[in-house]
Amino acid sequence: MSESLFDHDLLARLGAIPLEARLPMLGNVAGRHRSPHRGSSVEFAEYRKYVPGDDTRRLDWKAYARSDRYYIKEFEADTNLRAYFVIDHSASMAFGDRGMPKYQYASRIVANLAYLLVNQGDAVGLSVCRESLHREIPPRRRPAHLSLIQQTLQELKPMGETGLVEALHQIAEKISQRAVVVILSDLFCDSSGWEEALQHLRYRKHDVCVFHLMDPQEIAFQFDRPHRFVDLEDQTSLVVEPQLIAEEYQQALRDFLLRVKQSCHRVQADYQLVTTDAPLEPLLRDFLLHRLPKKGTR
Amino acid sequence: MSFYQATGLWFLLAASIPVIIHLLNRRRHKTVPWAAMQFLLKATRESRGKKKWRHYLILAARTLALSCLAFAVARPMVGGWLGWGAGRIDTVVLLLDRSPSMELMVEGATASKRALALDRVRDALKSMDATKLVLIDSASMSPQEVPSPDRLAELTSTRASDAAASLPLMVQRAAEYLLASQAGKAELWILSDLQASNWQVDDERWSSAVATLQTVSIPPTVRLLSSTQGNAQNVSLQLLGSQRIGKELVLDLQVQRSDDGSASLRLPLSISHMGAVTSETLEVSGQQMRFQKRIGVGEEKSQGYGLLSLPADANVRDHRVHFSYTAAQPIKTLVVGESGESTKYLAAAAAPQGYANQRAEVISPRDFDSKAGQLESYAAVLWSTNFPAAEKSQALQVYLEQGGQLLFFPPKQQEQGSFLGVAWATVDTAPSGKFFLLEDWRRDDGLLRDTIHGQPLLGQSLRAIKKQVVEKGEQGLTTLATWDDGTPFLSRLVRERGTAWFFSSLPDYTWSNLGDAHLLLPSVQRAVMEGASRFDAALLTEVPRAEWWASGAPLPVRVDAEDDPDADPAFRSGVYRINDRVVARNVAAAEHDPEIVAAENVAKLFGDVRFRRFEENATAAGESEQRELWTWFLLAMLGFLLLEAVLCLPKVLHSSHTVGSPVAS
Repeated sequence: MSESLFDHDLLARLGAIPLEARLPMLGNVAGRHRSPHRGSSVEFAEYRKYVPGDDTRRLDWKAYARSDRYYIKEFEADTNLRAYFVIDHSASMAFGDRGMPKYQYASRIVANLAYLLVNQGDAVGLSVCRESLHREIPPRRRPAHLSLIQQTLQELKPMGETGLVEALHQIAEKISQRAVVVILSDLFCDSSGWEEALQHLRYRKHDVCVFHLMDPQEIAFQFDRPHRFVDLEDQTSLVVEPQLIAEEYQQALRDFLLRVKQSCHRVQADYQLVTTDAPLEPLLRDFLLHRLPKKGTR
Repeated sequence: MSFYQATGLWFLLAASIPVIIHLLNRRRHKTVPWAAMQFLLKATRESRGKKKWRHYLILAARTLALSCLAFAVARPMVGGWLGWGAGRIDTVVLLLDRSPSMELMVEGATASKRALALDRVRDALKSMDATKLVLIDSASMSPQEVPSPDRLAELTSTRASDAAASLPLMVQRAAEYLLASQAGKAELWILSDLQASNWQVDDERWSSAVATLQTVSIPPTVRLLSSTQGNAQNVSLQLLGSQRIGKELVLDLQVQRSDDGSASLRLPLSISHMGAVTSETLEVSGQQMRFQKRIGVGEEKSQGYGLLSLPADANVRDHRVHFSYTAAQPIKTLVVGESGESTKYLAAAAAPQGYANQRAEVISPRDFDSKAGQLESYAAVLWSTNFPAAEKSQALQVYLEQGGQLLFFPPKQQEQGSFLGVAWATVDTAPSGKFFLLEDWRRDDGLLRDTIHGQPLLGQSLRAIKKQVVEKGEQGLTTLATWDDGTPFLSRLVRERGTAWFFSSLPDYTWSNLGDAHLLLPSVQRAVMEGASRFDAALLTEVPRAEWWASGAPLPVRVDAEDDPDADPAFRSGVYRINDRVVARNVAAAEHDPEIVAAENVAKLFGDVRFRRFEENATAAGESEQRELWTWFLLAMLGFLLLEAVLCLPKVLHSSHTVGSPVAS
């Protein structure tokens, strides 16, 4: 029996921090998230002129008394959100040298965030991609849905090459309503198409978050003797003396991380570089706190 | 460079250890699965730069450090003339050229070439304790075992000598010694100045000597320490010949300068005659100058000896010549011909009035038989009749081979006989009112050569009505003067030590004006003097090498009081008494020849025998001095290890990427 991906102690401590959407969401039930439509909540939104056909019950008579004009008083509409977790399940995500395998770490992030979202009444869905979109679980807000997500994450094993870019385009086309899209990947994919995929998601008014997972050894690249490196995805191999190329490797990695970070900035997506040896709680706490709206911004 | 402990060079194999470890490490790699392959490929592509070179530099530094250690263990020596690959040698056969030319001190040197070369050998042999040293010197030619290199300079057989060297003979002796002694790994060390007359590169003995060397069980290596530098300050004196004429001794001398001879040189010439020393100034112009010195020797029955010398200069062995003389002997010439005008002229030319010690005997051809057995006492024979018949011809040929001078004049008629393949043609008469004129003659050679002062003979004054030329001859007949129609006037045929001369006209008024003494007198006198010189030749010899002693000749006794402590008394010039004859011995004439053999020609002489040459530089003794280098190699090793350590230092990382913190968009 697989170990549960949910960390209940962690969830108990983080339960008080809501996961907020940065953009207005379109939910099907009332919730805690801003909606682009006007609704009947207690929070005032704006005045607008009366036009024939408007419900006369919403006329603001005090305003009429002051200005001798008819105004309709509008209030914000609050709704729930749909969160889509897009997890990269290519073979490269199976790498774990100094920490746990990247896909396992990503699964834990997905499971715990999904729990928090369902707990606050939002719907959670899951998309697993390899060469292309491999499996999809549509968003639901029922607590029982979490079991399905956990079961799916535990059943699937990383394999194949990365098709994240194509998968994101497919997801952007498929999700009709505004949603929060959380991407978890090592991003070892086509870097030029990556930014286009993010822009596609943003064009569809989705709130995009990126968890960029890296193994500490992939960053440090510390080996003391010649190694044969076998590519996890296509099995090609290369014999090198790490000491000879460490500097060039690290420079290439730094360039890559900078490119990814800048591309996220350009599309206003949240970006978080995660090493798999880092504890989960600070990571998620910072993530949640960082997304809380600042005072007066709502 | 040579190595005292050449076996230590095996440690050079250890230099391959870093390379082997490197290759093994590359093979013993660990296989790891890897996700970030794109960065690995990019890094591999970009790392083919200085870092790779740095890695190879580290590898090279380690290899070189070990190599230096191996060299240090092998105790390398440089600066000497042993060169690479000396290793351990069982026997060194030292061939020492101690001819007079080796006594030259080159400019800037403090000792002669011979002494410097011996020092060099002594230094080289100091580090070869177990090596047997055998000396073969150019004078004694006998192998002599030397107990210690330090004793080399003390040996009599390494001191200066006045005998010429013969390198082919020395190499032959060395090869025979090695073959007989089974000397193990041996080397021939030759110390020489490469003088061509000593090396005799065309000598047939070279091939047999080298062939013998190759038959030695372990063919030896030949090392040549050559010293070909000259000295522009050297002047040598050579005695070409001496002849007593009455109360005078005529010495033919030659002075040779080693500078360019552009300016004339005034030198004091010291003459020591029977203990009485006089001096006069000699002006030398040009690089080479021949001159005659006449010394009054008193009564005709007196005997004596003496010495001529120039001031000592760069070579102390080539500026003195010894001479000796005996009682004056009458110079006799035999004139064979029918009585007549031409015969009278010939007799007068052979013994002119005023030349008291010259006599001419005129005989008829018919009386020649009585003289045929006594020809060796005549300086020259003038033959003005038909060629002799067979038995008479034989006597003349013997006379020629003994060094006699034979002058033939036309027989006036056609004859069938010949002498040594030479025959007379028919008599040729000039058209009426015209003459045969002498057009061309050799001015540097032969009887018509210029005088010793450079003045030509009056050949153009010769006019002939008749001539009778030699029409054929065997190989070796040389024409020295020609008529205006191209026919020969004077021809020469050399046979052994003697010379036969053929004139094509007669001193007869019906033939020519040859009797006017412009040409006939000097020609005949030169032939007579040349023929007479062989009587005095025995009194003038060169210092012989040891084989002369082996020939059973009597031991000489030094007569003059000259003392020369630096030279080997057995092989030095001087005046000696041999069998009641007083003989002057001088430096071999070949030693005055400055020609040097080209180094490549020397190398060719030894064929397939391993040959190495080292040129001695006497003015840069520091460079050629042998010294050990192991400390330098140890320092080099430390340097390479230091370099390796510096290259292996890890580089300081200037920046690192921060991970883990969220990035707000």
